[in-house]
Amino acid sequence: MSLPRRLRILLLLAPALTVVAVFFGAGVVQAVAQSLGYQPYLEGWRWSTDGYVALWDDPAVRASFALTARVSLLSTVLAAVLGVALALLLRRLGRGRRWAAGLLQADLAVPHLVGALCMLLLLGQSGLLSRIAHGVGLTATPADFPGLTADGFGVAVVAEYVWKETPFIAVVALGALGRATAELEGAAAVLGARPWQRMRHVTLPLLVPAVSAGSVLVLAFTAGSYEVPLLLGRPFPATLPVVAYQLYRDTDLTARPEAMAVAVVISALSLAVVAAYVALVARLARRAV
Amino acid sequence: MSATAAGGLLELSGVSKRFGSTTAVDDVSLTLRPGSFTALLGPSGCGKSTLLSLVAGLVHPDAGRINLDGGSLLGAPAERRPVGLVFQKPLLFPHLSVLANVGFGLRVRGSSRRETRRAALEMLERVQLAGLEQRRVGELSGGQEQRVALARALVLSPRVLLLDEPFSALDSELRATMRRLVRTLADETGVTTVFVTHDQAEAVDVADDVALVLDGRLAGHGAASGFWSAPSSLAAARFFGVVNEIAGQVHGGVFSGQGWGAVPCDVEDGPAVLVVRPERLVVDAVPGPGPAVTATVHEVRFAGTHLVVRLARPDGGALVAHVPVGTDVTAGSTVGVSAPTDACTVLLKDVTARD
Amino acid sequence: MRLLAAVAVVAALLPLVPLAIWSVSDAWPYPSLLPPSTTTRGLSLLVAPRTGAVHALALSLGIGAAVSVLAVLIGLPAGRAVGLYRFRGRRLVQLALLAPVIVPGLAVVLGLQVFFVRYGLSGTVPGVVLVQLVPTVPYAATVLGAGFANLDVDHERVARTLGAGPVRTTWSVTLPLLRPTIVAAALFCFLISWSEYVLTLLVGAGRVQTLPLQLFAAIGATDTTLAAALALLVVVPPLLAVLACSRVLSGRSAAGIGLGRL
Repeated sequence: MSLPRRLRILLLLAPALTVVAVFFGAGVVQAVAQSLGYQPYLEGWRWSTDGYVALWDDPAVRASFALTARVSLLSTVLAAVLGVALALLLRRLGRGRRWAAGLLQADLAVPHLVGALCMLLLLGQSGLLSRIAHGVGLTATPADFPGLTADGFGVAVVAEYVWKETPFIAVVALGALGRATAELEGAAAVLGARPWQRMRHVTLPLLVPAVSAGSVLVLAFTAGSYEVPLLLGRPFPATLPVVAYQLYRDTDLTARPEAMAVAVVISALSLAVVAAYVALVARLARRAV
Repeated sequence: MSATAAGGLLELSGVSKRFGSTTAVDDVSLTLRPGSFTALLGPSGCGKSTLLSLVAGLVHPDAGRINLDGGSLLGAPAERRPVGLVFQKPLLFPHLSVLANVGFGLRVRGSSRRETRRAALEMLERVQLAGLEQRRVGELSGGQEQRVALARALVLSPRVLLLDEPFSALDSELRATMRRLVRTLADETGVTTVFVTHDQAEAVDVADDVALVLDGRLAGHGAASGFWSAPSSLAAARFFGVVNEIAGQVHGGVFSGQGWGAVPCDVEDGPAVLVVRPERLVVDAVPGPGPAVTATVHEVRFAGTHLVVRLARPDGGALVAHVPVGTDVTAGSTVGVSAPTDACTVLLKDVTARD
Repeated sequence: MRLLAAVAVVAALLPLVPLAIWSVSDAWPYPSLLPPSTTTRGLSLLVAPRTGAVHALALSLGIGAAVSVLAVLIGLPAGRAVGLYRFRGRRLVQLALLAPVIVPGLAVVLGLQVFFVRYGLSGTVPGVVLVQLVPTVPYAATVLGAGFANLDVDHERVARTLGAGPVRTTWSVTLPLLRPTIVAAALFCFLISWSEYVLTLLVGAGRVQTLPLQLFAAIGATDTTLAAALALLVVVPPLLAVLACSRVLSGRSAAGIGLGRL
């Protein structure tokens, strides 16, 4: 091709960047504008920070922050720890490994909505676990079984996220645990490192880049998911995306700026998390051990 | 070599290892003196690396014993054997600095941070990498990486040091430098060293003894020079570049075959093969003393330091001779070919050697 | 070790058990551990035209296919640029491409709604396809970028010396070499599109009834049997897709591809 390099790169990037700019960038800009009062459908709108003030004062939003943070952080940490453990377990397996890997990939294919329904049927007060508890004599009525769904803590929500995202992290970790890792573990063994020392000094450090990348994705997803907390949680407190949607759907259009403000806050928070992650990775890479 | 207390006596007896249907190591018995430097030589893929893995403890033998200083190594896992292994790939830990890599084994066995640092720095200086201790692994060249790997193994004062073709990825001049470095360090520390290679010239250059491994079996063990002048089997001879084979018979301690005169030998009666290195054949208009035949010159080629002369015998056999540049020999002429008696080795026709 | 593996398998499959049971039982009163009888009512409702499940299935499949094809087509050149070339601002572009994956789609589309309404895309299938490009194009670009980075460009150079022009080279050399990555990217875009709920709800304005929307409605209603049956229907095509692609991917972890770049 005779095109100059710069131009060629630009042309290659154009379609994707256009999609991002138009659908993402414009969306964000619109959300920011509307959060500051811009209302294309309402006569006599004016710029103001009322949306953010309302957000700050709204008790639903405050409770929502706590709930969202709790649910997403807990789910991410659990999924990361269990996912790494699962990957290490699978690595040991030998023969059953292909079946297990297939099972993992199958789990990745199950949509979260289905997962939410499964959790309802499993963890609900008349669900399977409750019936098993009754069968072994632990409980007598549905109400005796703890309320795991539609509860204020978000137990069933966390359960669903962990069930779906643990295999994801496991798949990511397995990808990083290739033959190269096995060779390095062999080298460490010859140098005198015992099994748990190899795990601590070689295996786990080598897993950190991939697993943290995966965990960031899980964190972003769990914080932004809508349908799972809606089905498995309570209307109050609800997670941030649910609150945003509720406000958006409010027939009172003056709630619109607040809805957009929540949307903007969600976007800003997730970008901040990624920025922090990237900065942390860059700094760790420069640290001399 | 110095027979200091540092190097261990390594004994393998009857060691075998199979992977599926392939036999990688077949009944190998080998004894290495403390402080010796042995090249483990053989074509690629014939079990040499497996032997090293067996000694290091990364793999368990199907049969046989492996003893160090009289005590069995087999009960101990790899992390408890006083064996150092430098792999074909440097296998440096990518998330650690050079200094941390070298000090890894010391930290793992509980040395203090200060002591580890001191020992690691000293070893880095001995491999001529002083000043690079804070570098990250990705910033090193291939030769530097292998030196770090070498330092990492040696700093633990192992009793046996195993090197698995560690310089195969480097260019030839760097390889020669690294060989000298390894040899120097091995001599200084007195560690019993095994150096795996598929290059006979490298084996002879760096080691005192050679253990030849062909098809997973030990095909010879002895001083390096002996393999060149008096190989112990046809397979070994072929591996070392002998191309002249004359088939014949031994009767009563004397070999004769295909026109070559009687050559005394101590091979038992029966079919045998006489082998001569190309550079020991003498090509002349008049055959000299010792076994000799007449032959026709088929081709003369200039090869830098010598002339390669291909000859055809009247009975159909072929010979190859390396003669000094300037020898008067032309294609098509009939010449006499002879060899001094001490250059001739008579070997049993080895049924296992591939024809 | 085997015990741990067994525990993991049970934990993985347990949530699906009540779902499977409910899909074939009409009444399963507490506290029985097994339903008294089985029924095919749920499954027959699935194919009943009144339920609209078949229509929703076709719609979801069509949208999923369209989205994965488009996302890969757009992501290929971007992946090539990011994976093969070193240029100033490359890091920035990578982050820009990743941003839509990180930021929840809901937050973005709430703002976009205005445009969709203004340009008549609200409540239409093309509108839903377009909005589903938001999470999928960046993912495709990132995964394909990783694939291009691992590509040995010398193969293309050899093809050029043998006389193949740029188009021919791309078609006969580059794309076949990238096949596993392309398949992985398409598969994941399909999975993302298939499960997408809230974006479809917002832009489709309830008029574009994909399977997830139907399922959501069924969960809210009191017919657990139908909901369970629908859920099973929702699970089958992605499972089949993953199965079909697992041979092409030959065991390499597809999700791992592209994640080392973060």
